[in-house]
Amino acid sequence: MKNVTINPITRLEGHGKIEIFLNNEGNVENAYFQVPELRGFEKFCEGRPVEEMPDITSRICGVCPEAHHMAATKALDAVFHIDPPSPAKKLRELLYSAFYVADHTTHFYILAGPDFVMGPNAPKAERNILGLINKVGLDVGASVIKHRSAALDVVGMIGGRRIHPTCGVPGGVSKPISEEERARIEEIAKSEIEFAKFTLKLFDDIVLSNKDYLNLIKSDIYATETYYMGLVDEQDRVNFYDGKVRVVDPEGNEFAKYGAADYQQHLSEHVEPWTYLKYPYLKQVGWKGLVGGKGSGVYRATPLSRMNVAEGMATPLAHVEYKRMYDTLGHKPIHSTLATHWARLIELLYAAERMHELSRDPEITSQNVRTIPTATPDEGVGIVEAPRGTLTHHYQTDEKGIVKKVNLIVGTTNNHAAISMSIKQAAQGLIKRGEISDGLLNMVEMAFRAYDPCYGCATHTLPGQMPLDLNIYNNERVLLRRLTRH
Amino acid sequence: MRILILGVGNPIMGDDGVGIRVARMLKDKLRRPDVEIKELSVGGLKLVEEMLGYEEVYIVDSYSPPDAEPGRIRESTPDQFEDTLHPSSPHGTNFTVALQLYRGFEPDRIPKRIMIFTVDIDPEFTFRESMSAPVREAASTLTEQIARDIEQTLAPK
Repeated sequence: MKNVTINPITRLEGHGKIEIFLNNEGNVENAYFQVPELRGFEKFCEGRPVEEMPDITSRICGVCPEAHHMAATKALDAVFHIDPPSPAKKLRELLYSAFYVADHTTHFYILAGPDFVMGPNAPKAERNILGLINKVGLDVGASVIKHRSAALDVVGMIGGRRIHPTCGVPGGVSKPISEEERARIEEIAKSEIEFAKFTLKLFDDIVLSNKDYLNLIKSDIYATETYYMGLVDEQDRVNFYDGKVRVVDPEGNEFAKYGAADYQQHLSEHVEPWTYLKYPYLKQVGWKGLVGGKGSGVYRATPLSRMNVAEGMATPLAHVEYKRMYDTLGHKPIHSTLATHWARLIELLYAAERMHELSRDPEITSQNVRTIPTATPDEGVGIVEAPRGTLTHHYQTDEKGIVKKVNLIVGTTNNHAAISMSIKQAAQGLIKRGEISDGLLNMVEMAFRAYDPCYGCATHTLPGQMPLDLNIYNNERVLLRRLTRH
Repeated sequence: MRILILGVGNPIMGDDGVGIRVARMLKDKLRRPDVEIKELSVGGLKLVEEMLGYEEVYIVDSYSPPDAEPGRIRESTPDQFEDTLHPSSPHGTNFTVALQLYRGFEPDRIPKRIMIFTVDIDPEFTFRESMSAPVREAASTLTEQIARDIEQTLAPK
């Protein structure tokens, strides 16, 4: 068999690109996913007051500015060696839970839902939220809008703005909430719990009760065995805001557990010459290439990963759903990438329940929401779970708090290697002996859409989407076919 | 009449932030209680949600088509983006779908008039606050143009 060497792949500018290389027999040998990487962030930050980081980093990506704001705020706590008062942590987590409700609702109804509800082979024109609403009814659509908006109202009440919240400060948050606001948040949270239950039922009726879809979720073409990463609380339950990072191996055994400050003892980054993307991997296992299994340091950080590393959910209804998912799919950890959509809905329910719990916490209207730092700033790490994966912010400053060095590992970065591997696997199932199945582009896209990847592209340029080319080459690297999504 | 100017973009990504720059220049130029000016670094649903309840909306943004001429100003309406109705963005719906969604559910709150002003840019991948000369000039020209439009619209008849 002829070896296909990648020497060199042209560095990518402008488009997302999937490159698939076939061997002599016309089967998939390798697949690579590339996107334009944003450059110069560290240089941009050097020389700035570190207190600007929550605002600067929330501009990196127009999809989840709230996650960056929160990770940056926690990093500031660490830089200034200050522990916020308990009410402040609860307010931060309440805001963050509301953000998760808005984000996960949006993701399911905009993206995953259409894939399943309309079916992977439905015409493009129907595979969006409008098509979904046509199918499931206008009432559902109205409910999506209403619940998303209500969750963002909560973000606004605590964070000062519905979009780009500004409440994070080192040592706490900038303002408390009133009893009136608290009561409103509690009402909204109750409604969000019902909506999350409804959404899970919809997923059950449309996806899990459909044998073809269930088989798709379980199928090998979408199963990738890797290590998994996520934040857990003291009882090893999923937590989005705080806790320790836990890593399990492909068999589910605990491999590592560490606090934010120690992340560099566990993670390294691999660099390939043909892409700007870095590939984080587990240092103690080592980089073995874009391969899975216990011997490879590739790991995933996604909603499914968070469940794989945890022993359960911290809220009762979500915990029941968590157990049901593992019972249905038969084992833990779950390696099926498409099950990420199911995990996301369980997280939606958890986020709504957590909102409700926190809204009823006796401390939540406390006026004691900040401890002013007094220590000399130097270095700190803040880690949260972004919807897309574990988000790490690491800052070093001088004694005046001016930034000297910045390192970020954003949610999707954790999954760079796994995304290429998932694409390869999907392609292997759909390209055999040179025959390319219809629907290849969409089936491959389903593999990476499950990760909900966020590449921090220009946040908005109209019409607001990243063009994507899928190129298929034969064993002599002659381009056989290009499929394009614009 | 309530008018909204939405400057959209990433203010730390060079020319990508031209919409934000125009919004800031208009804030200095147009000090009117009936004109609200916002900056946004988001797209899709959040962009449409910010527009609800206004009668007229001016969106200012960068634009990176394959045949981009950096600094070229284009004026469009949402209908002209019909062909992007089918999102492939992995993390959200695009503006056109979002607008259609809200037209269905909150028709009374959709602005009667939505104008989209864009400035062509080359794709940006480097974090910086400065802008290239042609885009900076276009930002000034566009600011004057929008300010004149609005003053004329709001002038007593």
